Amino acid sequence: MTQRISKYQRFKMMNPIIQLFKFIYLSIKIMLVVAGGHGGTRKVN
Amino acid sequence: MSKIVILGAGISGHVAAAHLRRELSKEHEVLVVSPNSNYQWIPSNIWVGIGRMKSKQILFPLAPLYKKKGIGFKQAKAISFHPEGDTIEQKAYVLAEYVVGDNKGQQEKVTYDYLINATGPKLNFEATEGLIPGTNKTYSVCTYTHADHAWEGLKALIQEMKKGKKAKILIGTGHAKSTCQGAAFEYILNVEKELHKHNVRDMAEITWIANEHKLGDFGMDGMLLSYGSMTMKSSEMVEMIFEDRDIKWIIGAGVNKIEDGVAHYENLEGEYKTETYDFAMLIPSFSGHGFKAYDKKANDITDKLFKGFMIVDADYTPKPYEEWSVKDWPETYQNPTYKNIFAPGIAFAPPHAISKPRKSKNGTDISPAPPRTGMPSGITAKLVADNIIDTIKNGKESLHHKGSMGNMGAACIASAGYGMTQGSGVSITTYPIVPDYEKYPKTQGRQLGKTFGEIGLAGHWLKLALHYAFIYKAKMRPFWWLIPE
Ligand SMILES: Cc1cc2nc3c(=O)[nH]c(=O)nc-3n(C[C@H](O)[C@H](O)[C@H](O)COP(=O)(O)OP(=O)(O)OC[C@H]3O[C@@H](n4cnc5c(N)ncnc54)[C@H](O)[C@@H]3O)c2cc1C
Repeated sequence: MTQRISKYQRFKMMNPIIQLFKFIYLSIKIMLVVAGGHGGTRKVN
Repeated sequence: MSKIVILGAGISGHVAAAHLRRELSKEHEVLVVSPNSNYQWIPSNIWVGIGRMKSKQILFPLAPLYKKKGIGFKQAKAISFHPEGDTIEQKAYVLAEYVVGDNKGQQEKVTYDYLINATGPKLNFEATEGLIPGTNKTYSVCTYTHADHAWEGLKALIQEMKKGKKAKILIGTGHAKSTCQGAAFEYILNVEKELHKHNVRDMAEITWIANEHKLGDFGMDGMLLSYGSMTMKSSEMVEMIFEDRDIKWIIGAGVNKIEDGVAHYENLEGEYKTETYDFAMLIPSFSGHGFKAYDKKANDITDKLFKGFMIVDADYTPKPYEEWSVKDWPETYQNPTYKNIFAPGIAFAPPHAISKPRKSKNGTDISPAPPRTGMPSGITAKLVADNIIDTIKNGKESLHHKGSMGNMGAACIASAGYGMTQGSGVSITTYPIVPDYEKYPKTQGRQLGKTFGEIGLAGHWLKLALHYAFIYKAKMRPFWWLIPE
């Protein structure tokens, strides 16, 4: 096993308080990417 | 009055039926024909396969919901398509066969004005000799029953490991042309985490086997993504996760035969190898259902409707990888010959793969087929429903709603372990799903920022939140339509 994720990084990944903010941030970001619309590709306006 | 028939009640069929019913007045008939009595939220099968969810938590019966909402339901499977009717039946119809009850085996001509083929994939286990879920120590998590079996198999192995058995676990793709690597990726991370929970992680060697030429290809030609303040390749991200979790990998591998505890495969180097295991979860290849189609005079017109999956408004001209374009991908999912037939979700025939096709030195194709995940399946189903609604309301064909996978974003929240405080998830979004190398030539066809990855506990919460939100939506509870696809 190679430790590729440092202890500090792991702490940030698993800390519930930091992750709560991340959860809110990710939810908004995902909404923007996914609900941000879609369309065709053949006619560029 | 119009009659809209929807084949399949998976993510895309159910989304289409729900929107059509909500938007169309009761004089129009919405009818679902599907062989499974239940709706299942497939993404959560991963958790059923590690025993953290019961299958009943991810499914609900369709008949009572459809009855309440005024959606017709026939528990039957489509067999053949007759888009011109026949010499007796004037209207276009689908021949369907009931699968349960007194009329089991009975066939019926289900007529329609509009047809939505949302039958998804056939799980083509037969394409790999010996790959039968629940036998030869191989399992699948593609349906809830498969996932239940997978958990039984894994649980039994965990018990043996507790008694001192050293075990080998193999997870990935079970065919040279499989897709859905994302689901296998989630499962391997969840299994790894569960072994820790049961204190048997040291007893197991866990190996990823896949037809991808690089880790993190996911059938999407890999991704260049923003990761924190860095820009990282998806291959680097997955390699980091696998190394950190001591998961070995075999890539460029086309599994072609399974024997009891032995997977035979050929790799891109043209070598024929084997890998032994005590438990395997291998995703089969997906194929079309082998439907036939006939014209009014009963002539076979299958090639007008199907190319494995259903033919839609894609550009199917064969061309080399270098000439592939986002413009090849469909926008309205309408069949070009029979314009009242549509195929959203996995049911449509893609113009080509997304990942670069690769052959082994022996000439065997070993590369992933293009995935169509839940989000695009839902989005394409909704736009098909919207176009049908507009057409009915305006009295003339309307195809204003468009959604090419080359101009659509998707999120893939890959669970990496279950638990409110110990869980983890790898959240990845991509925009666009099909890389647009003309628009984003320097960032591997995708927009950085909108294509990003995150690892951590928040990913688990997100995946869990999506589970509850999408089941709420599928049950058509109050304001369900506010939850986007
Ligand atoms: C284990 C697993 C995990 C996944 N995780 C994710 C995830 O985290 N995120 C994500 O976005 N996507 C995920 N996916 C992909 C997602 O589940 C699919 O993209 C989605 O289910 C496709 O929807 P669909 O409606 O096209 O097909 P399906 O959901 O397969 O539905 C097909 C429907 O057609 C019916 N049918 C079959 N044959 C017939 C017939 N002859 N006549 C009538 N009806 C028929 C079936 O019973 C079913 O109801 C996952 C897939 C798997 C297997």
